[in-house]
Amino acid sequence: MKLEISNLSHTYDVEVLKPFDLEIDGYHSVALIGVSGSGKSTLLRIMSGLEQPTSGEVVINDLSVKDPVYKKTVGFVFQSHNLFPHLSLVENISLVLEKTRKVPKEKAHEIAIENLTKLQLADQVNKLPKNVSGGQAQRASIARALSTNPDVIFLDEPTSSLDPILTHEVLSSIERLKGSGKDFVFVTHVMSFVKDFADYVIFMDEGSIIEQGEPDILDNPKTQSLKDFMAKVR
Amino acid sequence: MNKRLSYLTSILLFIAFAVFIALRQTNPLNFESVRTYESLIFKGFINTILISFIALFGSVILGFFVYILQASKVRFFKAFIDVFTEIIYGTPLLVMIIVMAFLIGPAFNTYNRIVMGTLGLIIYMTPYMSNIFKSAFSSISEEQYMAMDLFGFTSFQRYRYIIIPQVIRILMPPLMNNFSLIIKGSALLNYLSFTELFYSINIMQTRTFAYSEGYLLMWALYIIITIPLSQFTRFFERRWGLK
Repeated sequence: MKLEISNLSHTYDVEVLKPFDLEIDGYHSVALIGVSGSGKSTLLRIMSGLEQPTSGEVVINDLSVKDPVYKKTVGFVFQSHNLFPHLSLVENISLVLEKTRKVPKEKAHEIAIENLTKLQLADQVNKLPKNVSGGQAQRASIARALSTNPDVIFLDEPTSSLDPILTHEVLSSIERLKGSGKDFVFVTHVMSFVKDFADYVIFMDEGSIIEQGEPDILDNPKTQSLKDFMAKVR
Repeated sequence: MNKRLSYLTSILLFIAFAVFIALRQTNPLNFESVRTYESLIFKGFINTILISFIALFGSVILGFFVYILQASKVRFFKAFIDVFTEIIYGTPLLVMIIVMAFLIGPAFNTYNRIVMGTLGLIIYMTPYMSNIFKSAFSSISEEQYMAMDLFGFTSFQRYRYIIIPQVIRILMPPLMNNFSLIIKGSALLNYLSFTELFYSINIMQTRTFAYSEGYLLMWALYIIITIPLSQFTRFFERRWGLK
């Protein structure tokens, strides 16, 4: 994945992202970490095209996030699964494919089943989201994100609403996707997952990038704020 | 006592109460004279259902329109609807119907009291309908809209496949409750000499002096219309309820 950010800043009522530049290339799994309110989720949303930045430019794999085509090249997994509650797991995927990607009905169903099976949900496909566990619903939402065959998948604290057992279940499923040819950008508080899954880590605090690099920066933090953060999350 | 038996006992208790009331009347009940007016009462029964459907249809359309205006960004529309809602909430239905038929109608050279009275019923129900739309549409989370946006659903597709199917399920139970309110409220149209259920039985009563029989029948017939409706609502909630 090639990520180029120039002079990006974002303001709601207060400045949540202070102007910064960033350029990374050749990594497949980027973790955004930091305390709540550090701006990591906002950065993730801007990178995914869900939100427009107040100023600056984000280009991923040579495509600006403002380009209308860009959204078709990404997938997004929300904090809570955010499946459409009136549709079964398989319909949640097939509807997206049929209506927005013009995939024929039967083919859409086939792709949906295939992706749900990949996430170990083959026996749950016809259930409504309310009738499966939080972990299963979150895995279905990962399957939905995968099914449009995106280049990059963004995950915004995909396990924050789950208990430790379901968290493990979801994170293992994501880990199994390593090497699938997709790139991932994710926000999480689970440091063991960052160490196992990420090949690049960005640590943020108060709207700025404080430290970045390969995951061993977590074991040898250079800045006091990353040291403090690691001491808290351990 | 299990659930079914509890309900059965409760129903029997109420029937026993009705029978007790019937037996306590000064004159023994005699439904013979009522039978002569069968067709008039049937006409009233059908008219009550018909006018209620018209009022339901009208208030759903108007209620949706009011919801759209209220949700709009134009401040005047919102203020206008707020004032309208306050006025309606403060007006008894009977007053609304009479004002529509005897004041507002004539002011616009309309002397068809039935039409104006029905319009009164429709307008009276409009804010209640609009509230239903408001709560139903607000049940679609911000994140669902984000997901629709991200996947690239068109406006039509959003409403057709995602928003309306969810909203309908939330809308149906309170809509049916409002329908029940309309049916009961339609009895007030008898003030305009409209041959609905209440009025038709009134005619029968004044001609035959079968007052007790008439009131008992009236009560039973309204319940015959409204109870299946509330049962249907419960069934709908159980079958389609999201949570």
